[in-house]
Amino acid sequence: MNIAGYKIKLEKKSSFSGLEAAVLSILAVVVALFLVGFIFLQAGVDPAKGYAEIFSYAFINSFGVPLTLNRAIFLLLCTFAFILPMRAGLWNIGMAGQLYAGALAAFGVAFAFGARTNPDVPAGIVLPLMILAAMAGGGLMGLIPGLLKGKFNTNEIVVTMMLNFIAFWVTAHMIKEGGPFMGSGGEGEGFKLPASLQPGLFLGMPFTIWFALGLTALLQFVFTKTRIGYEIRAFGASPAAARYAGVDPFKVSVLVFVAGGVIAGLAGYHYFATVPGLFKIPKNYGDFGDLAFYGIICGLISQGNPLASIPLAVLFGGLTSGGRFVQGKLQLGFGIDYAMLGVLMIILVAFQFFFRYRVVFKKEALP
Amino acid sequence: MGVFMTDEIKHGDVILEARGITKRYPGLVANDHVDFEIRAGEIHAVLGENGAGKTTLMSILFGLVRPDEGEIYVFGKKVNFRSPLDAIKLGIGMVHQTRKLVQAHTVLENILLGHPNTGLILDFKKAAEDVARLCDRYEYKLNLNDKVWHLSEGEKQMVEILKALYRGARILIMDEPTSSLAPPETKKLLETIQIMTKDELAIVPFITHKLPVVLSVSQRVTVLRRGKVVARLNTHEATEQLLAREMVGREVMFNLERVQVERGKAVLEVQNLSVYDEKGMKAVEDVSFSVHEGEIFGIAGVSGNGQQPLAEALAGLRKAAEGKVLLDGSEITHLSSMERWKKGIGYIPSEQRAVGSIGDFSLVENILMSYYYDDEFCRRGVIDAKKIRARAEALVAEYGVAAPNVDVLAKNLSGGNLQKLILARVLSRQPRLIIANLPTQGLDVGATEFVQNKLLEAKKAGAAILLISEDLDEVLALSDRIAPMYEGRFMDILPGGEAEREIVGALMAGIRQKAAEQ
Ligand SMILES: Nc1ncnc2c1ncn2[C@@H]1O[C@H](COP(=O)(O)OP(=O)(O)OP(=O)(O)O)[C@@H](O)[C@H]1O
Ligand SMILES: [Mg+2]
Repeated sequence: MNIAGYKIKLEKKSSFSGLEAAVLSILAVVVALFLVGFIFLQAGVDPAKGYAEIFSYAFINSFGVPLTLNRAIFLLLCTFAFILPMRAGLWNIGMAGQLYAGALAAFGVAFAFGARTNPDVPAGIVLPLMILAAMAGGGLMGLIPGLLKGKFNTNEIVVTMMLNFIAFWVTAHMIKEGGPFMGSGGEGEGFKLPASLQPGLFLGMPFTIWFALGLTALLQFVFTKTRIGYEIRAFGASPAAARYAGVDPFKVSVLVFVAGGVIAGLAGYHYFATVPGLFKIPKNYGDFGDLAFYGIICGLISQGNPLASIPLAVLFGGLTSGGRFVQGKLQLGFGIDYAMLGVLMIILVAFQFFFRYRVVFKKEALP
Repeated sequence: MGVFMTDEIKHGDVILEARGITKRYPGLVANDHVDFEIRAGEIHAVLGENGAGKTTLMSILFGLVRPDEGEIYVFGKKVNFRSPLDAIKLGIGMVHQTRKLVQAHTVLENILLGHPNTGLILDFKKAAEDVARLCDRYEYKLNLNDKVWHLSEGEKQMVEILKALYRGARILIMDEPTSSLAPPETKKLLETIQIMTKDELAIVPFITHKLPVVLSVSQRVTVLRRGKVVARLNTHEATEQLLAREMVGREVMFNLERVQVERGKAVLEVQNLSVYDEKGMKAVEDVSFSVHEGEIFGIAGVSGNGQQPLAEALAGLRKAAEGKVLLDGSEITHLSSMERWKKGIGYIPSEQRAVGSIGDFSLVENILMSYYYDDEFCRRGVIDAKKIRARAEALVAEYGVAAPNVDVLAKNLSGGNLQKLILARVLSRQPRLIIANLPTQGLDVGATEFVQNKLLEAKKAGAAILLISEDLDEVLALSDRIAPMYEGRFMDILPGGEAEREIVGALMAGIRQKAAEQ
C-alpha cells in the first residue's frame, strides 16, 4: 500500500514476550478510552469532563462505589466463567444464558417454598438452597455445550449462543405477566424476595464478594498447582499432545463448561438476589446478560489469569456504572457503556493483529 | 522473476556470503561469529550436533531471524533482510524442517500462496502451466489439484521445493530434508538436487545429520559446533569418521554391540489387529505378533505403510477395528491412553512438535506430561513442584538436552534436543513396553548413538521394545526380530541376527517372491 510516497508494509513478527502482551493489552484499553472520547465530542461533551464524571461517580461517589463493586463482583464471576473454558482452548459465550438459568433456579427454590406470597419462609434452609440451585442451574446450562463438545465435537460457540437466546426467552416467560414468577406489581418483573431471604451486607458489600475473592484464589491455585489445572492447560495448549499424555478430552470439556456455568449461575444469584434494591429478576434483566459479555473482554485482556482479572473487573464495573450515570446526568442520547464495549472489542481485535504483525513505513524513492 | 542476471554468474562464483553472524538467545549463543559462503552450482552441506545452530544460521540467511551482529552479502551486495519476503525477492528459498503447508488447500494453491507477485486476480491457468513445467523438469509426478493432506511426506516436500522454485529461488536452503523421508523418497530428492545444480545453477545448502548422504552428494561441508564454525572442507577430503569427530568433538563409534539378553515372557501380544486411518481406510490389516521381555522387535517399513496407525492403536490413541491387544496377559484393547501409561506402556511418537511435546510449556511442564498422573509427583491432585523440577533437571542433565535452564519453552529447543527431552520423559518412567516410533529421527550421530544405547539399556533391564523405523541399518542393528511392513501387513517375521539386508529391503517394498526364492 502506498500513501503519500510512503510504502506501508506488514511484517510478520517472529516472536513476542508475555510483557509485550501485557503492555499491549493496557494500551488497547487506553486507546479505546481515547476513541470513546470522540463519541463524547460528537455529543457536544468535553471528553475530559465526561471521564471525570464517570470516574468520580464510579470510584469516589458514595452511591457509585457500591454500584461499581457490585458490578465488579458480577463481572469477575462472569470472567471466571469465561476463563475456565478459555484455558482449555474452548469458548464460552454463554455466560448470559448460564446466569439467567442460575437466577431462575434460585428464584425457583424461593418460589417452591412459597416465598412469592408468604414472607415467613425458613431462611436458614431456603437461602443455602437458593445458592446451590443457582450453581446447579448454571452448571446444567454449561453441561449442554460441554457434553456436545466432548462427545460430538460440536462448535461450542454456536451452542452457547443459542442457549443464551433460549434462556433469555424462558426468563421472559417466567417473569412476565401471568408467568409463575410474576411480581405483585405485575410490570414484567419477577417477584421480590421477602426480607428474610435478603442477605444482609457486610462492610457495605453483599457476602457474594467472598465467593468472588475465594474463587480467584481457588482458580489461581487450580491452574498453577493442580493436576486438573495442568490437564486443562495442556488441552488448551495442544489438544493432540494432551490426548497423547492421557488427558481425556471429554472430561476436560465437560468439566470446564460445567464449572464455568456454576460460576456464571452464582453471578446471576449475586446480582438478582443479594444486591440492595433488587432482590428480584428485574425487567431489564437482559442488560445484565449484555454486561456479562464484558467477562469475555476481561478474560482476553488478562489472558486467562484470575488475579489479573480483578483490577479489570473493577475498571469495567466502574466504567459501566459511571457510564450509565453520565448518560443520565449529561443527557446523552446513547448508552455510553455499550458504545465503550463495542469500541473495546474492535480495538482488542485490532491489537491482536498488530501483536502478530508490525507495520513498516518506508519512504519510497520518487521516480 | 529474479532481480539479478543469471548469465553473469559462473559456476563456482560466491553468490552468498555471511560474515561474522552472531545470534544470542537468553543464556546461549546460537551463532558465534559465523562466516559462511555459498558458491553457484554447489551443494554445500552444513553439519552439526543438535543445537549447534544450523537452523538458526539458515533462518538468518532466509530473513526469518535477525542476527545481532554480522553482515550478509548476496551477489556481492550487502543486504538487510527484514522478513523472508526480502530474501525471496533476492532469489533465496527455504524448505523447512517442519512442513509449512496449508493442509486443506490443493498443491497448486499452496504453491501460489504468498507468491510475491500474486495480485488480486490470479491467472490460474498460466500458473498451472508454469508449475507443470517445473514438475516435468524434476520428474515430479504430482497432481496439482490434490489436497495437500492426501500427500506423503516426500510429496509434501516436493510441493515446498516447487513453491520455492516457482517464486524464483536461485539459492535453495533445505533444513533436514531427508529426516522425514522414506529411502526411495530420499533417493528421488537427491536426484532432484543433482538436476538443480547442473541445469539451473540453483544452489543448495544442505543440512543433514545423515553422514553418508552428505558424502554422496555435497561438494563442500561446513561444520558447526556450539554456534562456531569448526571446519570447512571439500567433501572429497572428508570421511565419515572425520566429520563425526568434528561435529561431536570426540570419536563416535559406528557399530553397536548387539546385547544378548535372555528372552523372557511375552509382554505385548497382538492378535489379528486391524486399524482404520483418519480417511477411513484400513491401514493395518490382520497383524499378529508378540514382543517379549528383553526383546527389541523391529518394524521396518517405508513411512505410510500403517506403522503410525499401528503405533497409535497400541498406545490407545486410535480404536482397534478388529482383533485383540494383550499386555502381560490381560486384555487392553479398549483401554484409554491414560490407563495404558499407568500399566507401563511408554509411547515415543514420531511427531515431536505436534504430539510429543507442548511448545508453549516449559521443559518442566513437558516432563510433567508423563508424571502428572503419578501420585508420587501429584499428591491428592496437587502437583509437587519441587519434585518434578528436580526430576526435570536430572533428566535434562542425564540426556544432555542443550538448554540454558528447565524453564525455557519447549518450542525454543532445537529438533534434536526436543527429541532427547521426549525420550528422557518416556524412558524415565521405565515402561514395561516401549513403543518407539522413529526414535532417532532428526538426531545427530552422537545423539543417535546415545538413544540407541538407551534402548539397549532398557532392553537389558527387561523392557519389551517395539521399534518402528525407516532406517534399515538401525532396524538391522538393534532388532532381535524384524517384521517388514507393507501396505498395512507384516510381510514376514524374521530373526534379527540372520536377516539379510536385501531380503528385508525387498519385503519392505512388498516384493515377496524374491524372499521365497532365496
Ligand atoms: N527462539 C529461541 N529462543 C531461545 N533459544 C533458541 C531459540 N531458537 C533456537 N534457540 C536455541 O539455539 C540453539 C541452536 O538452535 P538451532 O535450532 O539452530 O539448532 P540446530 O543446529 O538446527 O539443531 P537440530 O539439529 O537439533 O535441529 C539451541 O540450543 C536452541 O535451543
Ligand atoms: Mg535444526
